[in-house]
Formats: sequence, C-alpha cells, structure tokens
Amino acid sequence: MTASQIRGLPVVTVRGGEDVAEVRDVIYSPEAGRLVGLTLNKRGFLAGRSREVLPAEAIHAIGEHAVMVLDDSSLVAAEDASDDVGHPDTERYVVGNDVLTEGGASLGAVADLVLLVGSSGEVVGYQIDKTGGGRGYIPLPAQLSVSGVALVVPNITEEFVHDDLVGLGASVDEFRNRLGLT
Amino acid sequence: MNESFRDCSGRKVISRATAKHLGDVSHFLVDAEQRRVAAVFIGRGKNVRLVEWAQVSGFGPDAVMVADGDSLRPPGDDRERDTAEGKLELVGKRVLSERGNELGKVDDVTFDAGSGALKDLVIGDRRLPAGSLLGIGSYAVVLDDDQSSAG
Repeated sequence: MTASQIRGLPVVTVRGGEDVAEVRDVIYSPEAGRLVGLTLNKRGFLAGRSREVLPAEAIHAIGEHAVMVLDDSSLVAAEDASDDVGHPDTERYVVGNDVLTEGGASLGAVADLVLLVGSSGEVVGYQIDKTGGGRGYIPLPAQLSVSGVALVVPNITEEFVHDDLVGLGASVDEFRNRLGLT
Repeated sequence: MNESFRDCSGRKVISRATAKHLGDVSHFLVDAEQRRVAAVFIGRGKNVRLVEWAQVSGFGPDAVMVADGDSLRPPGDDRERDTAEGKLELVGKRVLSERGNELGKVDDVTFDAGSGALKDLVIGDRRLPAGSLLGIGSYAVVLDDDQSSAG
C-alpha cells in the first residue's frame, strides 16, 4: 500500500475498538527509510486538525482499513513528541523530488511512498512518475543523498524500476543483495 | 446449551418470585477480556434496566429467569449506558483484525447459556472462536486474526 492510501484511515484501539483519530498525513524519514509517525485529524463532529501525533513506535499495525494502536495513550501531544515527529522538517518530504542516478540520469519524480503492509511503517520503495511517462516503482534503500529537491540513487536502481507493486515486492531482496546490504 | 445473541433478542425476562414479566432482552454487555456475557439488558430507551450475569438464575430457551424485580437496575457507568443505547451492540458491528484489515460484520455471537462464556463470533460464513476477541468499541470489534489477505 502507499502513503496516500493511509491518509484518512481511522486510528482504532485494539483494546477498545474505538476510532480515536484519523490519519492526516505521514511523517517520513528518508534517511531511516520508514515513517517516523503520523499527523492526525479528529474524528466525527469535532473534525479538524488534532494537536496530537502518533509516533511510529506506538503504531501496532497499518492495515488496509485502519491504523491500529493498543489504546489511546498511544497518541501524544505534538509538543511532547520527539522533534522529528512533533516538528517534522517538511523539506525532507520526498514527494515531488527528482530521482537522479549517480550517473546523472533522471528516473522520474517521486509520486508516493510504498509501505510494507502490516508493519508499523517500513517503506520499501517509492512510486515514481517516470521521466519517459507512466508510473513506476523503485526499491529502497534508494537514496545516497536527499536534498528536498532531488534524491541521488545508485546507478543500479535503473535496472530495478518496476511497473507494478508485485514486481517491486519481488525485487527488494535482490536489490539489497546487489547493494551488499544483506 | 448454546444460545445466540440473535435468538435471544426479545426473549421474556421473568421474576421467579412473582412470575411477573419484567421486560424483554434488548442487548448484551460483553466483557471482552473475560470473553463472557457481563450483563443482560432489558427494554429500551428510558426504561432500560440490566441484570448482571451472576444475578440471572436461569437462562432458558423460553425465558430468562431472575430472582425478582430487585435484580434489575439502571445502567451505572459509561460502558453500561453505551450498551443500553446500542453503541456496543455486537451484532451488525464492523470487525477489524488487529492488523487493521476489515473482516466483515458480526452476524451473530454464540454463548453458553449456563456460564455466559462466549463461544463463537459468526462473521459471514466464518465462525471465529471467542478466544480471538481483543476489544469491543463503538467503532469496531477487534480480533486477533490475520487470515485476511494483505495487499
């Protein structure tokens, strides 16, 4: 699933069965290759931005229909959260960034983050709008560096651009092997 | 003997002492941790009363027997008030796995009429053991189940 599919999902307590919030947006750390948290909207009649955030370590699971937390103590006030969650640096958000290989070829622009289903926010790849047109997917860890404008990725990433999520899923391990990461 | 929430809805509640009809079963309050019926609710609206499971002297196929009218009391806490209003009604409620995937809606719940222990949750054509129950709230029932596919 992708980061944009998470927006709007209810945040539901495992022990209480209550929808305590709704996902407003993801907070992503490109360096860590994972979500570090979620910003929230209130549910129901009080709809609007919530002052609380959900740090990734308090996420029980991200599913297709809900983000699960154990109980409502999982939500913390933004000012009480660590800086990367409470005051995320929007410059580091990668969507829209140009994906450049070390060799200087542009693969496209980041369109979305691809998350490992059922995890607490591990990002396994990026969906890109390919330079030649159409959608593609590249596996992570991709960037050697990230600036808020562009990502620089290893040259071999070019061989791992997939047209669908199934191809991406199958290639993540191989990609990591090739980078000598496993 | 096994009973089900659906079958019991509307069953007469009778005082053993006076043989009077005290009302009809409207809702069940379930203790999600103990996986058992905690209380049986009688009537709806302003006149709703409940009898704690320990005060039920006989849960029979034709009537629910209680010692007398004093066994019934109005809802006392938030959970009991929410049950009285039907907010925690299991039948018809959305089911989520703890992984955050929707499994369907609860069609029925079976329980042991002697002990009040829950047996199964009926969700479409599946029966999931009550042991998988993790939480019951106004939004959803949460189960420990991951047979739902991820994608």
